Amino acid sequence: MSLKETVSEVLHAILPITVVIVLLQFTIVRFPMDIFWTFLVSVILTIAGFTLFLSGVEASLLAIGELVGKSLMLSGKVGLLIGFGTAVGFSVTVAEPGVQVLAAQVSTVSGGAVSKYLLVAVVALGVGIFLSLALLRIVYKIPIILLLGGGFALACILAFFSAPEFIAVAFDAGGATTGPVTVPFILALGVGMSAVRGSNAASAESFGFLGMGAVGPIVAILLLGVLYK
Amino acid sequence: MIASVFEGFWNVLLDVSLAFLPLLLIFVAFNVYSWKLPRPQLVRILRGLLTAFIGLVLFLQGANAGFIKVGGLIGNHIGRLPYNWILIPIGFLLGFVVAMAEPAIKVLNFEVEKVTGGYINNKVMLYFLSFGVALAVSLSMVRILTGISIWFFLVPGYLLAFVLSRHVKPIFVALAFDSGGVVTGPMIATFLLAFAVGSSEVIEGSTPIFDGFGMIGLVAMFAIVSILTLGLLYSRSEAKGVKKHGSQQEA
Repeated sequence: MSLKETVSEVLHAILPITVVIVLLQFTIVRFPMDIFWTFLVSVILTIAGFTLFLSGVEASLLAIGELVGKSLMLSGKVGLLIGFGTAVGFSVTVAEPGVQVLAAQVSTVSGGAVSKYLLVAVVALGVGIFLSLALLRIVYKIPIILLLGGGFALACILAFFSAPEFIAVAFDAGGATTGPVTVPFILALGVGMSAVRGSNAASAESFGFLGMGAVGPIVAILLLGVLYK
Repeated sequence: MIASVFEGFWNVLLDVSLAFLPLLLIFVAFNVYSWKLPRPQLVRILRGLLTAFIGLVLFLQGANAGFIKVGGLIGNHIGRLPYNWILIPIGFLLGFVVAMAEPAIKVLNFEVEKVTGGYINNKVMLYFLSFGVALAVSLSMVRILTGISIWFFLVPGYLLAFVLSRHVKPIFVALAFDSGGVVTGPMIATFLLAFAVGSSEVIEGSTPIFDGFGMIGLVAMFAIVSILTLGLLYSRSEAKGVKKHGSQQEA
């Protein structure tokens, strides 16, 4: 994408919400003026940041993800896939700010019984294991619905036995693990892996990794909820 | 004013640095042990990383300093109004436009276009996702106003998702569940959560901790269902096409 296209794309993304908020300012809400000005300046910051992010992401995060995906697939070693999937899922999750916030919430819900560190570790391991399964899916040609369905079915069974305060948190956790850095990398990982296969099914196989990464923590937290009970 | 725009800047910088760190390490490890990329390509990737990094820091700073604060105020203000039921339509509107401003969705759109060669239209997919997020937010507002349990939405929603999954092409199943992760990106999650907590604070019988939880789960579920619905429409129109032309088109 050229810079001009990127800027136009970003304006189309940011202006609608800006217009809605400005309209609210003149109709129902009437923010204090200093907050309103701060908002307008931060809109400019957001537009500049979004433009830079989109111009850099293709050459960096997407490119790295695809290269890693291809290398893994070409190596053909199942052990390597499992090890890599778990390690990568674990490390990117631990580094995700959303997960830290979530962990603090859960620590509150459980009255401190589940420590922040334990929770981060459990969620990260959940992502790691499910990401390895997603990698293995491509090698063994397992339909995605089987894995996702299995994951959610397991979640439902666990929810039945889990301490109730963990349930809503668990479903939120599915979202906390997919931040703006992880999303491009994991998406591209799938695209790179299935590109090696080059079959007709490749385009369908390219996706589903993020979904698997979201089921992992749901199952992990519910498991914790069962143990906590 | 400028000072308030850069409030919390160091935290954002630290968060984004931490998020990039594992990927940088993976890249370096692969490059040293396996790829040994030529210098120009290496430079291009590193420059891209730096650009994306700076961009993300600025974006998140803008989102934190501007959008989140405003989101909380909107919820707070409208929740106090005698006609606070307008949280429902306003939630719908905000949900629709905030989804358009989500970087993670843009990246997903880009990859989908690349992989499917335009088979799945970018704009259509974006509008379906926006509509799903919008519905989820207005239902969350219904929840905050009435106290109805999240299970009345989550359980039928996921059941519907699995029924729909059996009737669409596999790529839509994968895309739908990916979308569930993507719609909970930094813009959507933080802005909408601020909005929900802001309104929940001032509405009697609603507690921010309780009603704030679960909203993200609802947004994810609605994104999944809306992409599956898109998939169903694709299957329908293709089935029609086959009947008309008597030949199956390769996707």
